[in-house]
Amino acid sequence: MYYIHTISSITNQDSFRNEDVYASLREFDKEIDVVAPDYKEFIPRNSLRRLSPILRMGLTCAMECKNFLDKNFDAIVVGTALGCLKDTEKFLNTFITSTSDFLSPTAFIQSTHNTIGGQISLGLNNHAYNMTHTQNSLSFEVSMIDAFLCIKDGKKNVLVGAAEEKIDFLEKVQPSLIPNGYPLASGASFFAISGEKSKNKIGIQAVATNFNSINLENEIAQFLAKENCEMVDLILTSGDVVKNTTSKIESINYLKITGLHYSSSAFATHIAHDFLKNNDAETALIVNNLCKGKLGLILVKKG
Amino acid sequence: MSDLKQTLKEQIIEQLNLEDLTPADIKDDAPLFGEGLGLDSIDALEFIVLLEQNYGIKIADPSEGKDIFQSVNSLAAYIEKNK
Repeated sequence: MYYIHTISSITNQDSFRNEDVYASLREFDKEIDVVAPDYKEFIPRNSLRRLSPILRMGLTCAMECKNFLDKNFDAIVVGTALGCLKDTEKFLNTFITSTSDFLSPTAFIQSTHNTIGGQISLGLNNHAYNMTHTQNSLSFEVSMIDAFLCIKDGKKNVLVGAAEEKIDFLEKVQPSLIPNGYPLASGASFFAISGEKSKNKIGIQAVATNFNSINLENEIAQFLAKENCEMVDLILTSGDVVKNTTSKIESINYLKITGLHYSSSAFATHIAHDFLKNNDAETALIVNNLCKGKLGLILVKKG
Repeated sequence: MSDLKQTLKEQIIEQLNLEDLTPADIKDDAPLFGEGLGLDSIDALEFIVLLEQNYGIKIADPSEGKDIFQSVNSLAAYIEKNK
């Protein structure tokens, strides 16, 4: 079991510094991007001016996790499928349209996927293991697996999370990427995890990924059997509502809440945590089948 | 010259994303780096791009940058001299 000690999410929902995200969930609001705090309270002004939305979200969530944990992280693991899209777009547009010999360096420097992890490292003055995973819709799940390996390897406190940002251009290409019709979103969720029991004793029991998923229901059943989990209290899924004979309550399609981005299962994990924390329930399962043939399963448990 | 300085201040704010500043906040003779606006080495690169894109001026010797980028006054003087 890998216990969750702190969580911080900036999303379309009112999730930042919210002790019960599950209870305050509402339908996705197309009119807003994210409900963000005043970033100036977290990030020095001179650094903030250069940071794109995904970097602001990621760094603020990481700082929030660090503030509540009051310990240094022994590893920082970040998942992002599409990375720093705004800076990538800015750099490429300048590259195409500029007539001068020089290009603005900032957007280029900050266009790489690992800028999020790098900025967290700089912001926290933390030079520990720092890894970024880009595995399409399973980037968060793969990051979680890496975080678990870090703990197995002897690292105590690991910061793990995921972040994505939307740009207008994505609206044009979305139908050919993920044609499910959900509104595009931005968001970041970060978790401080360790092998030591947390105050509320909620953690991740297991994460599984399958990049060649064929039979969703069989694979879920096999995963739960392997984890000796007979009863699931809540299922959060990114696709069609999963038929669940063992669940006491209906599955929730979290894309209706988080909006569509490749790492929305990270926020679903936050929702599952708060559900278990504030309700008489033991187990929650996140089923991420956002992309055809790719399945991520996260089992969140109390105990 | 004062028009050039005003334009420079606006370009600096835009190029360096100095969101909270207005041209009036940047004094002509105040240091841009260090204790002044607190700019850093990446901003120096942005200045080189700004000069080339807006004024067609290329800084041949990078070691000159320290003097050129000292203040809005020194930047404006360099542009007047080389444009």
